[in-house]
Amino acid sequence: MIQQNFTDEELKVVEVLKQVPDPEVGVNIVDLGLVYTVIKDDEKKTLVVDVTLSTPGCPVGDTIIQHIQTILEVTYPEYAVTVNLVWEPQWTPDMISEQGKMELNQ
Amino acid sequence: MQAGLSTKNAPSIWVVAPHFLLAPVSFLMASLYLLFHYGALLGYHISAPVLTVLHLMILGWVTMIIFGALYQLIPVVMEVKLFSETLAYITLTGLVSGLFFLITAFMGYEFQLTNNFIIGGSLIIGAVLVFTINTLVTALKSDKKNMSKLYIVSSAIYLLLTVMMGLFIVLNLKYAWLTKAHTELLETHVVIGLVGWFLMLVIGVAATLMPMFLIVHKIREDYLKWGFYLINAGVIIIFTITFINQVPEFIRVVAYLMILSGLVLFLLFNYDVFSHRMRKKLDIGMKLSAIALVLLLLSVISFVLVYFGNNVLGLGVGRIEIIAGILLVYGFFTGLILGQTYKTLPFIIWLFHYQKLVGKQKTPLPADLYSDRLATIHMYSFVISLLLFMAGLLFTVKLLLILAAVAMVFTSIVYGINVYRMIFHKKQIIK
Repeated sequence: MIQQNFTDEELKVVEVLKQVPDPEVGVNIVDLGLVYTVIKDDEKKTLVVDVTLSTPGCPVGDTIIQHIQTILEVTYPEYAVTVNLVWEPQWTPDMISEQGKMELNQ
Repeated sequence: MQAGLSTKNAPSIWVVAPHFLLAPVSFLMASLYLLFHYGALLGYHISAPVLTVLHLMILGWVTMIIFGALYQLIPVVMEVKLFSETLAYITLTGLVSGLFFLITAFMGYEFQLTNNFIIGGSLIIGAVLVFTINTLVTALKSDKKNMSKLYIVSSAIYLLLTVMMGLFIVLNLKYAWLTKAHTELLETHVVIGLVGWFLMLVIGVAATLMPMFLIVHKIREDYLKWGFYLINAGVIIIFTITFINQVPEFIRVVAYLMILSGLVLFLLFNYDVFSHRMRKKLDIGMKLSAIALVLLLLSVISFVLVYFGNNVLGLGVGRIEIIAGILLVYGFFTGLILGQTYKTLPFIIWLFHYQKLVGKQKTPLPADLYSDRLATIHMYSFVISLLLFMAGLLFTVKLLLILAAVAMVFTSIVYGINVYRMIFHKKQIIK
């Protein structure tokens, strides 16, 4: 993940995002390294997530983003949720966590 | 939420699914026909049963499924929506009706032109022309510049060329416009069809999908680029010399060496992708694809043996030629289709049923839509069938050929069940 410092609340959001799998590989998007940043503002009641995809042509890209949007809106109904799709920095397999690598080969 | 990705470019399920419904029927019909005419494999290879099976396999099975899969894959590779779904339906109608007439013509083939050849051939040319226009216009709409796109566009043009050449060959039997040996014209038809159409397409699609499925980022683009130049040059030379008299033999040899080098580069590209893959464990789709690539290598070796046997050693190698053909059509083409079916079809079905439910309810994954067990069973029966075919042909044992054909019929049935299971999937919600 690009973001290094998380508040406890943001870490809870990351845990929620672990429920979103990449349908092709069956591994969650956090361990695949697709989630770059999570910013939760409790005063403004906003939740902004930057995510990427393993490739721009990813056939289920929209579905993954829709999944993130829905699951966050359901979990945090009082927050305005924004999911940004970003391409910088470009995703590489090195961003997969150790847990993700293990799950890929199970 | 930002959008504009491939899910939005994905075609309607009604464009893709009919191809996957019809293609297994052709595969089964071709396998059954071969079971009842297995003896034809031991005789001269340009015969009615061999040509019937070959055209059922290439047009009814391979091309049919490629059309369906391409309508789904073009948006992935070119990142645009398919130009026209209506044109896709017109292509399908032309292909199915043309195939009916053409297969009827080949079943009674006696080296003569019949009306069924003209009707069937014309319908298929029409279908392919519409497909080529659809592909080219889609490619023009896309501003992506990559090797995959170049390969796919070239392959669509070669497909048009090979079906036109096919009809030209049967017309030439009657009108003799070109005073060339019939077999030389057939050879050009086969090279443009198998190398120009199918192999170029496979390389184009694999260049994007193999690294995507196996999670590899740094690919050997140079292998793809040189492969593209070499294969194109080889196919164009073979096509050109068909219309020129008294061409020195070495030019043909150079053309085949170029194609061969291009194929070797494609195999090296895949070897590189497989060696650097992040996803070490292969699913059933990738296992079958890996087997198909090994069969391509074996087929290439067999074709080289055929050439040296014929031209250098002066041996009668018709049997090896049949083995090479089976390894290519029943082996590589079929193996790759069996495998890639599980990497393409489940997604379009899954998107159709579950796209609107993700996040709201727990849904199955695309891989849950087919039976892994059935796929594994037909992977084994497929390999067993090929081994039996090779042994039966090498040692002229008819019983082995019958068993091989039975195993291929079994493979087509089990594969068909798994595909129909996906197409007729009922929406499930996991609690």
